[in-house]
This record gives sequence, structure tokens and C-alpha cells, in this order.
Amino acid sequence: MAEKIIGIDLGTSNSAASVMQGGKPTLVPAAEGTTVAGKAFPSVVAFSKDGELLVGEPARRQAVTNPDNTIREAKRKMGEDFVFKIQGKEYKPQQISAFILQKIKRDAEAFTGDTINKAVITVPAYFNDNQRQATKDAGTIAGLDVVRIINEPTSAALAFGLDKSKEDMKILVFDLGGGTLDVTIMEMGGGVFEVMSTSGDTKLGGVDMDVAITDYVIDEFRKKEGIDLSSDPQAKERVRTDSEKAKIELSTVMETEINIPFIAPGKNLEVKLTRAKLEDLVGSIVHRCKPSVDKAIEDAKLSVSDITKVLLVGGPTRMPIVKKFVSDTIGKEPEGGVDPMEAVAFGAAVQAGIISGDVTSDIVLLDVTPLTLGIETLGGVREPIIERNTTIPTSKDKTFTTAADSQTAVTINVVQGERPMVVDNVSLGTFNLTDIPPAPRGVPQINVKFDIDANGILNVTAKDMGTGKDQKITIQSTTSMSEDEIKKMQEDAAGHAEEDKKKKEAVDIKNEAESFIYTTEKLVNQDLKDKIPQEKGIQITDAIKELKDVLSQDIEQIKPKLEALKAIVNEVTTELYKNASPPPGQQSGDSNQQQSGDSNQQQSGDSNQQQSGDSNQQQSGDSNQQQSGDSSSEQKSENTSS
Amino acid sequence: MSEDEKILKKAYEKIIESKVEKDQEQEENDLGRIETLEKEKDDFKNKWLRSKADYQNLEKQSIQRVSQEILKEKLNLLLEFITIYEDFIRAQDSLSKNNVDTSGIEIIRKNMEKILSENNIVPIAAIGKPFDPQIHEAISMVEDDSVDEGTIIQEVAKGYYAEEGILKPSKVIVSKKKSEK
Repeated sequence: MAEKIIGIDLGTSNSAASVMQGGKPTLVPAAEGTTVAGKAFPSVVAFSKDGELLVGEPARRQAVTNPDNTIREAKRKMGEDFVFKIQGKEYKPQQISAFILQKIKRDAEAFTGDTINKAVITVPAYFNDNQRQATKDAGTIAGLDVVRIINEPTSAALAFGLDKSKEDMKILVFDLGGGTLDVTIMEMGGGVFEVMSTSGDTKLGGVDMDVAITDYVIDEFRKKEGIDLSSDPQAKERVRTDSEKAKIELSTVMETEINIPFIAPGKNLEVKLTRAKLEDLVGSIVHRCKPSVDKAIEDAKLSVSDITKVLLVGGPTRMPIVKKFVSDTIGKEPEGGVDPMEAVAFGAAVQAGIISGDVTSDIVLLDVTPLTLGIETLGGVREPIIERNTTIPTSKDKTFTTAADSQTAVTINVVQGERPMVVDNVSLGTFNLTDIPPAPRGVPQINVKFDIDANGILNVTAKDMGTGKDQKITIQSTTSMSEDEIKKMQEDAAGHAEEDKKKKEAVDIKNEAESFIYTTEKLVNQDLKDKIPQEKGIQITDAIKELKDVLSQDIEQIKPKLEALKAIVNEVTTELYKNASPPPGQQSGDSNQQQSGDSNQQQSGDSNQQQSGDSNQQQSGDSNQQQSGDSSSEQKSENTSS
Repeated sequence: MSEDEKILKKAYEKIIESKVEKDQEQEENDLGRIETLEKEKDDFKNKWLRSKADYQNLEKQSIQRVSQEILKEKLNLLLEFITIYEDFIRAQDSLSKNNVDTSGIEIIRKNMEKILSENNIVPIAAIGKPFDPQIHEAISMVEDDSVDEGTIIQEVAKGYYAEEGILKPSKVIVSKKKSEK
């Protein structure tokens, strides 16, 4: 197998890594768990007073207690002739970045279970050669062979799959992070990305928005209660946490409430925050992005109308006001489908996958069945055997049974499509399984097996489990339909879902009624002939007649008659069991209940599974499922419990 | 041996020789073909084993991913629960200061603590303990000579351990020595 290469978004404030798994980029979780920055972790390195190295969350947590020995934003110094002096030692920026990369390497190894030696690392588009070389050096120090350095906006474009586009395009990448804004314009042609311009603001980001909301909430409380929470660290922390939560909520709802009980002695904080108010609070921050966007467009010597694609990167771009600002400024809706917080790391993993061959060469492309394959059952209902989108080669089987007494043959009608009724799908072929020994309905076991090979050739085999006799059909092409035809069938299924459900329900009820009539008649005329009191026997016979009379009518007519028959039968059988059991006691009561419940369930379940093939052949599910052919004796039923 | 016999013998020898050559050639071809087929077989076997392994790995990963997702959702829910639990503690403190009977709230609190304990959620000790960035997050420092430097003197938000690690770190204020002027 190709050696795993990880993709790393080595950010100024936060870093993240991603790796290809099953052909898709997956974010590597930080060992310390998910944090405010999602699965990413802060790009902070520190040395404790004992000289212990801390990277990521623990380093950030101790920063205020140990500012002299804590390094943030080392990325800004990459490629410069600069040293960090910590506890008498000197560290180059690439050494500090290497500590972050080592942590990523460890986390990735723990996550994948493989040794990781190679990486693709992203850098801002404006990084010069020195800065890129320093980033490569950081990788080497960390024990990683940096197989490629790619621009962050290019990485985002890869995550959005823009490299696959055949058209030339001009892409604007709007990357608003926690503390910085980067705007890049790139030209893409033939899968090659070229940076046209970059601009940005190193002191603008989501953190400014959180501060604005927290200040507003504290101010509102002060106006209402006359208490200043900003001097109480505990209260301020609670307001900050809930304000951030409210900001996230307001991306999906129009209004939310910040409720913090007992924020001050005997006082509760209740502030209603609407999306409009939030946008009012952060509006000025968002509009500070405008000069950077204008400058990038101007430097690229373009006008806004020349921009063909807009990509959003960074957590704050999830906010509707930011999305709206970008689409209003550029006059185009941004691309969707990729989490803006993960896009850069994902793109790096895609690039890594292309280099290692994970993305194309080493993957066997397996086909899938575009439509569901199944057989016809009682009442023209389609019983699925292989669901659509199943990867082939594959094989699945189900066991069916007969629907009529002494039924000696069944017809298997192989159908393809998404609709529950056979008539709305396409029949691929039919064949008969004959010489089934005569037996009461529900007794024979007929196993139907669908096997599709790698070339899409379908073999359907029906085997009578009693005699071992089998019959088969080979269908050469189950995918001879064009893509348009397949799409149409799938759309048809979605469009007719409600109507189909009703049709299927009607057939199911009719099948259930027929099955119940059969079972009841057998019960009354044979099994319990001498045990049922005469007047009850008459009641049952009348109820059966009434149900038979409405069988050809609609479902609303059948349902009450079926329920009435069930009620009488239940009453009679309950009475019979009561008489057959020992004197009333707790045990006897329990056992009666259980048996009666079971018997009902079984009957109703059985009858639902009845099916019919063509005009004269029918099948039913479960071992008791039955079907009755019209004039012909060829009938069958299915057992879906296999 | 007569001349005729000699000619005949030679002819036979030639025939035999050419047959042997042909057989050798055929054998070589067969061996080459067997080798190709062996290679092909090994290649297919390899691919088959790899597919099988890929599938088994995917199955393992799926199981792991599902249980991780369930755990993540459970912990998120517990975090929300902890917020309400802490509100109850604040309510109890506030009401008892006003001499209101809080015995009912006390029972609710205990029941909530039982749920936390059943889910292996344990509060992180903070006040009076030395600051540890693995479990505490410092939000500021204040001068205080009454305790050792780096001791936690105020807990701004409580932290909790979960079975799998830190559910959330405590947010704390840490002591530092008074600056000498």
C-alpha cells in the first residue's frame, strides 16, 4: 500500500491535520480532544518553569501565567532572521513550528495506526521563498519529509474540488479566521492555480466579534440592574461563554436568549439577542473586510464581474452576515459543501492523496447498482433483494413460500426500479420453478438468490429447499439503461412516493385480509371445528362473508371488516385457551396474554408479506405468507426473514 | 547398415530432433505461460486479500467512528447538563443566603450528582492546588504572598474529568508574588 502522507494546515492561530481515509479527507483529532477551534488546536508552544515542553491546548491554557516562555504566532516570524529567547536558550521560528508539527505527527500516528514520515504543508499565498523554505525546514526538524508546500487558498480550492473543473476560472478566496483576514485571487486553468493577488488584515477576525457581543450583553445588564459585571471575572467568563454560544445559534435561528441565572447576588441575566442586533453589533467589523477585498481585486487588475468562483474559509464565514457581505461585494454566491474551518487541511490531504496515489491509482473503482433489484410478490408488490447503490460484486438471498395449498410451481419475475409496485418498475426477466411437492400454503421454503458479478451480470437462482431442485436465469445487463433513464426512474420514485405508499398499503391490507380469511376458515372448519360454540361459529362465518364481500373495494371498506373479524376470532381463541388452562391464576393469565398476542402478530405480519407474480403467480413473505393465482395453480410466497 | 538404412536412420533422427526441438519450444512456451498465470494469480490473490483487509479495516473504523460519535454526543449533552447543575448550585446558595428552605433543591442537586457520577464525570479540584495546564486554564494572575506562587486562588468556571480525559478544564485565577518596588 502507498505510504500515508498527511496534509497539514499550519496556521497562525490554529493548526489542523487531515489524512485520506477511504478516498475522503478526514480531520486528525487532537490528542487533547475537541476544543473551541473544533478538531484543530492552538498554534501555541510553551516551556513550563520546569522546562517541560507544552504544545497546543495546555500551552494556551498556561499562557497568562507564563507569558515570557509562551510563543504564539511563530508563523509570522518564519523566514526572518529572528530568535525566540526562552529560559536562556534560543529557538528559531522553524524550531518552534517543528514542535507543532511533531505534535501533529504524533496525533496522526495515533489516529491512523501507521508511522507518518511525509507531509504536505500549506502556507499563505503571500509567503516568499525564504518563508516557504523555513516551513520545509520545520518539517524536516520534526522528522517529516515535506513532499509539497502548497498555498492555503489553493488547498481550499482542492477541498472544493475546483481542480477537476475543465473551465478556466478566477477564484476569490475569502479567509477570515479568529484573528486574521486573508483575501486571495487565483487564476485556474488546466488544473494549475496561479496567484494573481493577495491582501488582508492581520488584526481582524472572529475574536473581535465575540468581544463586541460580550460587551453589549454586559452593558445591557448594567443599564437594567446598575451592576458592572466586567469587574467580576467569574461573571464575565459566563457571559463570554454564553455570548459565543448565542453567536453560533444565530447562524441558524433569527432570535435567541442569553439566560444566566444568579450572575450577581440575587440577580439573573436575561438578554434577548436577535440576528438583526447581532449583525448591528458585528457589522462594522465585517465592513472592515471591504478594503482588503477591493485591494485584492484592484491588484489583480480585475473587476468584480471577472470573478467566477468565491470560496469561504474560516469559522466566522459561517455567519450569515459574513456570507451576505461577500456575496453582495462580489455579486456571486460563495461555493458550499465544505466546512470552511476544515477546507485548508482537507485540501492539503487531497494534495497528499494525489502524490501518494491514494486518490486515484491504488483504488479499485467498483461499480454500484444504480437501481434496486427485486422480485414480484403477491398483489403486484415489489420485494427488494439488492438495494440501489450497493457496491458490486455482491450476492443476497431471501426465502419465500407458497401462497396456496398444493401449489406446485412459482414464477420469479425479476424487476428493477425504485417504486413499490411492480407495474411501475422494469421487468428484467421471468422464470418458473416447478415440481414443488404439494403442501399446505406457507410450508415450502423457496430460496431466491441474486448474484451480481463485477461485470454487472445478474444471476437469479430459485431453489426449493425441500427437494433441492433449482432453476436459474442470467440477465446479461442490469445497467443497460442510460444515465438519464436511471435518473428519471429515481425522480419518478421520489415524485410518486406518497401515491405509491397508498397503493402498496391497499395491496397489503387486501393480502392481509385474504390471509386472515384463509387462516380463520381453516381454524373454524378443521383445527377447532368441534371446539367453537355454534353461535360463535356462525358469527365468524358471517364476519368472513362480510369481509369477502368488500375485498374488491377500497381500503377504507376492508379495514373495519377485517378488524371486526379479528376481534371475533380473538374473543373465541381467548375463550378456548381460558377453558383449556388450569384454574385462573397469575401464571395462566400471563400465558394466555402472550399466546394471544403472538398469534395475532404472526398472522398480521404474514399476510403483509404476500405477493403475486404476473397475473397468475403470487408470492408472500415469511414462512406463512401466501399468494393465490387466479386461474393458474402456479403460486408462491416469500420468507423475508432469511 | 545399408545406404538406404543409413538414409532412413538419418531421416528418423532428423524427425526426432525436430520433434524434440518442438517439444522443448512448447515446454518453454508452457513454462512461460505458467509463469505469467502464476504472476497473475498472485496479483489477483494480493488484490483480493487487500480488498478483504480494506473491508475489514473499514468495518473496524466504522464501529470505532460510530462509538466515538455516540461518545461525543453524550459528552456534549453532559456539558449542557452540567451548566444546569451548576445553576442549581447557584440557586441553592442564593436562596439559602435569604434563609429560604432549600432542602428540595438539595435533593435535586444530589440526584444530578448521581447522574454525573454514573457517567464517570468527576469535578477537577482547583482552589488551593498548584496550577496544571493539563487540567486548568489560567485566565489571569493576581498578586498574593499568602500562598505559594502558581497556586489557584479562585475558580472562575469549574472543570470536569470524563473517563476518556478532560471534559472541560477549570478556568482559574493563579497567584503570583507581589512585585517588589
